[in-house]
Amino acid sequence: MWDKSETRFSSDAGQQVPDRAFGPVRNDRFYKISWLWAVGVLVWTLGITLPFSMHAQKSESLTAELPAGPMQAKATTACTECHEARIILQQRLSKAAWTKEVDKMIKWGAVVDAADRDGLIDYLSTNFSADKPAYEPPRSAPIKGGERNSSK
Amino acid sequence: MNSRRDFLRQMSATALAIGAVPPLLRALPQEQIIDIPGEDGLIVRSFRFVDLESPVQYFDTWLTPVPRFFVRNHMHEPSELDASDWRLTVGGEVEKPVTLSLAELSKLETHSVVNTLECAGNGRGLQRPQVPGVQWGKGAVGTARFSGPRLRDVLQRAGVKTTGKHVMFRGLDEVPGKVPPFIRSIPIEKALDGDTLIATQMNGSPLTKHHGFPARALVPGWIGAASCKWLTEVKVLEAEFVGNFMSSGYRLPNQPVKPGEAVKPEDTHPVTALSVKSVIAGPFDGSNAKAGRVIVHGAAWAGEADIVKVEVSTDAGASWSPAKLGRERAHYAWRLWSFDWKAGKGGDYVVQSRATDSQGRTQPASAVWNPSGYLYNAVDQVKVHVG
Repeated sequence: MWDKSETRFSSDAGQQVPDRAFGPVRNDRFYKISWLWAVGVLVWTLGITLPFSMHAQKSESLTAELPAGPMQAKATTACTECHEARIILQQRLSKAAWTKEVDKMIKWGAVVDAADRDGLIDYLSTNFSADKPAYEPPRSAPIKGGERNSSK
Repeated sequence: MNSRRDFLRQMSATALAIGAVPPLLRALPQEQIIDIPGEDGLIVRSFRFVDLESPVQYFDTWLTPVPRFFVRNHMHEPSELDASDWRLTVGGEVEKPVTLSLAELSKLETHSVVNTLECAGNGRGLQRPQVPGVQWGKGAVGTARFSGPRLRDVLQRAGVKTTGKHVMFRGLDEVPGKVPPFIRSIPIEKALDGDTLIATQMNGSPLTKHHGFPARALVPGWIGAASCKWLTEVKVLEAEFVGNFMSSGYRLPNQPVKPGEAVKPEDTHPVTALSVKSVIAGPFDGSNAKAGRVIVHGAAWAGEADIVKVEVSTDAGASWSPAKLGRERAHYAWRLWSFDWKAGKGGDYVVQSRATDSQGRTQPASAVWNPSGYLYNAVDQVKVHVG
């Protein structure tokens, strides 16, 4: 996985190097060596950092959203008052299990109009049924040097 | 010229600094990242409430660094915590209720226990059919050195009456809506055990907020839910606490049930000690290896029992060979283990690990299903391509 990323990002980075980072190459041998070395360092560095900057660009907000649908707004109000949407996004349950969950949450204070209960159960059991692909959770950001400071 | 040299120097420094980033993180797929201060590359099962899981690759050190230790919260963390205002009350079936400040607590003799703490729901996401709850993979577990006074010393100061049979813990976590508070109890025998603590430190540092600052119960060998965080009240009861997280939650069927079957509350009992279990930390599931020597390694634990054997299979369970157990050990702590696999022919392999403990329990090929997905402990496995 890493090998693939490294190759891809290294080659991209290599194309960007001459114009952006340095300027014209001189004939002086010292600079030629420095130049090659610098390109090497840059390619190596970007090969390591670019996957992270890609992550950074993809950085998601702290809140995730429930899927679109007739009950999206009401489900968001009813459920995310106490917990975030990811708790729901990761469940894969039968309609019977969703019915049990919704009734438990209503008992625990979730505000759901009696007229909306069945619609909410339908919305959840349609979007988060056992046959849906697994939810891919986000990661917390890595701590730089975290491995070295591993004694505490 | 100078600027060029400076640039090169800076580049080198940057490259070196980045080169120090854990190799694991370089292997992360392109996925979303959430900034959670103090936590190091954990899987975010939930941000509100905070529920964080360790990637199994982290299970290569006997003690899990705190930033890499899983976090399980049932409620919102206390919004305000001032160590100087914090008090622990001890009451109920006692001769003389006492209240202790953090300073008074710290005057009691300190005891340390290296404990493998595992969420009862660890592995819930692997149960089929699926059950509701945080969909933990394999990493809601970690091992740390917990330190603080013995709960027994605090209880003895208050004087437990002969009517006292259970000890209840209440934390300062904040309950939303009409959700029942996260209150549970443990039997008096376990509360008076010399290794049950009111822990104030983890791996030699004060507890972080996510791990229960300033003090938490530490009930070694038992499910994480027994070790109440942000502890503020200890109450001795005549019987098991009655409440959602004791009477409905954290219970197992008395008899095995068919997957998907409902169970009556009266046919259940509270989950207490952990099961026997091993997890493969490396090689990673789905990874490639070159033919030759491949080190298969991981961790194995058994709650209150000791690990006596870990076996590895590289042929999907047809044959098993003993793994070497790590030198570091403690009563309630996991053992690291490793196995030198001589991967011969190229191809796809199913590599498995199986632990056996001092009570004669062995990890089953498939976990016993239960309605809340507790104590999942099926033989662990990863797929490895050799080529």
